[in-house]
Amino acid sequence: MKSIHIKNVSKSLGGEAVLEKLNLVIPAGKFFVLLGPSGCGKTTLLRLIGGFESVDDGEILLGDQDITTMPINERKIDTVFQNYALFPHLSVFDNVAYSQHLKKIPQDVIAEKVMKILATVGLERHASKGIDQLSGGQQQRVALARAIINEPEVLLLDEPLAALDVKLREKMLIELIELQESLKTTFLYVTHDQFEALTVADQMAIMNYDGQIEQIGTPKEIYEFPKSAFVAQFVGTTNMIKGKLTEREGASVIDVASLGSFFVDVPQDKKYLLAQHADVLLSIRPEKIEISKTPVEGFSNMLQGSVKSIVYYGRSTQYNVVVSSSLTLQVFEQNEEHFPQEVIDYDDIVYLYWQKENVVILER
Amino acid sequence: MRSSWISRLPSFLLVVFTYLFLYVPLFVLVVFSFNKDPFPAPWSSFTLDWYRELWVSTELWDAFKTSCIIALSATFLSVLMGVMLVFFLMKSVRVQRILGIFYANLVVPEVVLAVGLLSMFSFLHVELGMRTLIIAHTVLGLGYVIPVVYQKYMTIDPHLIDVSMDLGATLGQTFMRIVMPLLRPALYAAGLLVFIISFDDFILSYFCAGSSAQTLSMYIYSMLRIGISPVVNALSTLLLIISSICVMLFCYYNVRSKLL
Amino acid sequence: MAKRKRRNIGALIAVKNHWIQKYLPFTLGSLSLVWQALFFYVPLLCVIVLSFTGDTPYAAFQGFFSAVYVRIIVRSLGMAFLTASMCLMIGYPFAYFLVFHTHRLRNLLLFLVMLPFWTNFLLHICAWFFVLDRQGLLSYLLQKLGILSGPLMILNTYWAIIIMMVYFYLPFMILPLYTALDRFDQRLLEASLDLGATWWQTVTRVLLPLTMPGIRVGFLLVCIPAFGEFAIPEFMGGDRTMFVGSVIKHLILGAESEVAGSAFTLISSLVLVIVIGMLYLIIGRLVPSRYEKE
Repeated sequence: MKSIHIKNVSKSLGGEAVLEKLNLVIPAGKFFVLLGPSGCGKTTLLRLIGGFESVDDGEILLGDQDITTMPINERKIDTVFQNYALFPHLSVFDNVAYSQHLKKIPQDVIAEKVMKILATVGLERHASKGIDQLSGGQQQRVALARAIINEPEVLLLDEPLAALDVKLREKMLIELIELQESLKTTFLYVTHDQFEALTVADQMAIMNYDGQIEQIGTPKEIYEFPKSAFVAQFVGTTNMIKGKLTEREGASVIDVASLGSFFVDVPQDKKYLLAQHADVLLSIRPEKIEISKTPVEGFSNMLQGSVKSIVYYGRSTQYNVVVSSSLTLQVFEQNEEHFPQEVIDYDDIVYLYWQKENVVILER
Repeated sequence: MRSSWISRLPSFLLVVFTYLFLYVPLFVLVVFSFNKDPFPAPWSSFTLDWYRELWVSTELWDAFKTSCIIALSATFLSVLMGVMLVFFLMKSVRVQRILGIFYANLVVPEVVLAVGLLSMFSFLHVELGMRTLIIAHTVLGLGYVIPVVYQKYMTIDPHLIDVSMDLGATLGQTFMRIVMPLLRPALYAAGLLVFIISFDDFILSYFCAGSSAQTLSMYIYSMLRIGISPVVNALSTLLLIISSICVMLFCYYNVRSKLL
Repeated sequence: MAKRKRRNIGALIAVKNHWIQKYLPFTLGSLSLVWQALFFYVPLLCVIVLSFTGDTPYAAFQGFFSAVYVRIIVRSLGMAFLTASMCLMIGYPFAYFLVFHTHRLRNLLLFLVMLPFWTNFLLHICAWFFVLDRQGLLSYLLQKLGILSGPLMILNTYWAIIIMMVYFYLPFMILPLYTALDRFDQRLLEASLDLGATWWQTVTRVLLPLTMPGIRVGFLLVCIPAFGEFAIPEFMGGDRTMFVGSVIKHLILGAESEVAGSAFTLISSLVLVIVIGMLYLIIGRLVPSRYEKE
């Protein structure tokens, strides 16, 4: 298992700059996820690492080795493609054995290796079948098996679960985590689906529309402490409130037009904003807000509003609450009981509560 | 489309009539090749005399041999060149635009090409014969092979080539192990097409054969000028059988090619 | 010692391989391009050049601007277009039926359509000769049945030629039409009917424009070779009527006047290209097919 260093990599496609002076370190042996909206350049970066495209500028290092100009077939990196790209004229066995056949390894050694790998992905009984006889999920696993039999230093996965339905996807995500833990190979997983990203990642990087990395961190760090509005809104949903950061009677507050003031906790790295009395964005995740038809004690902040719409998600219910003429807040409540004590309905007047520690302050 | 039975009737009749139109003459031809009395007498008795006469005719067999050699050579050459072109395409994508030059084969009447080749050969003082015929038929063949092979190559998922290299194969290995197997049915289909077109070709052969070579088509032509005889019927029947086999093979490979 | 030697050779082979890998595809691949250029385009160039090598550059052309030759060219064009049109009128409903109304038998029917295409066309001439000759089958039958008093005189007429031409070129028209119709999304027809269009409106507004590329290909595949035909007219129409192909054949092979032959070839080819070009423009205006699927 090796790490990957991307140093000042730039790449243009069709005259447009996709990646500019990108720097990124993918640590060895971890399940790393690159998350970003469609078309941001994450697939391009993957293709650069795999060798399918060449960089315009910059370096790519595999461990200490400079692989920037190394041809595809010499890099010890293997890829799982979105559409699997299984060889239609070869059986499952031959697809997986392909890379081994190339190396002139004796047949019996290959057979043993292939059957072992197939057992790992649960397809031993399908070895002699043709590709078209397999379901989507099974094809996916053949693609995986084919890539890992080569024992690559890094495994690249380009939105591999995009073509599967939800239930299968959830199952495969868990299997991928287990696979990575047992192989200890560096996984680089590219996706636009934040649910997938949060599920599998040891570490993740968020790429924005311009091909730049906004934040790198563990899923929890990214979700709970986003460093920019883009990250806050791309990963999960959030409520953004504009306001001015100021101090009053020894406490930090944020003044919001036509709503009043709310208490906030300002972390050390954001103190300078307080000093400047800057205009900031307050990011509150919907699940951090409590909703109730009766006033409740013990919360730092409270707002009153009326329920505009209700969406039932099974596990949770989302309420859209109008708190002022210009602001509607989303609130998630988990459906903990069959028969809740309090039933909230359309147009009800409700109270919203949150604690001052559960918000994030972001620069405007 | 679920339309009523009656509204389909006119087109159904058209289809039936068209098939009759296409096949009745051939059917008659075949049947009368077994007729004892030469044409135009009606059916008298079954005989294989005419086939025996065919068997003995040396001129016929020479022409048949010539046609076969030319057709096989043209097929081999054009398919080989088609394969090599694909190998080149794998490396350099820019070549694709230039492939349009092969489509001109369809837009130019065969006579024009025949006249051109004849002029060129006489200008270069090249003797007309088998070699010139093979060259001419190969050109004809290229016009069919290249578009067919190129189309099929374009339908191959480019990711397959990426994956193959990703797993460690060189360009050559990828070509032999992945591209060629996928192309093979289309190559067979194209090869059969060229073979038949060359074998049946008349206009080009007529102009470019000179005095030394004679293809089967030319032989039939000369026979026809004399007049119809049941020997021609017999020959037609045999050729019909050969063509049928070729078409069946072609359909088979076409279907296999689409499945991959 | 031995190990070191092996590594050196390996290095050599690596270098040589690299060179081969770089240039081999190019040399091999371009062979087909060279062949095509040499044996297709150069001959065409020869025809053009040769036509100008008379006593004076335009000497060869002058002879052909007479009424006789103009009539021959027009007649050939007429025959080509008539053949193509009839093939289209028969072929389109045929292909339509094949695509939309047959399922289990489709492969067999396709095979049967392709078979004549794959048999030597002279055979077909034999076959039709057999049927249409004055002493042929049809004549015999019709006389026996009392419909005709004398032998059937259909050979050596214009219509015999057309029948034979349509017979021969029908598969050339049906196959591209079949391909175009097969690729056509049936649900578009359903959508059109659903929105209230009549059957005829659907055909003219949806089906025809979207299958136009197939129609064009079929038309070209019939028209262009048909223009240069000489064998079919010769057998079916007798040596009386002259067509472009027969004139060329006569000039080049019979009279051995290659210059004149080339000139005439050039003239008639140009006429063909121009007429077809104009046809495309006109039809292109009449039947818009803006959203052609490739």
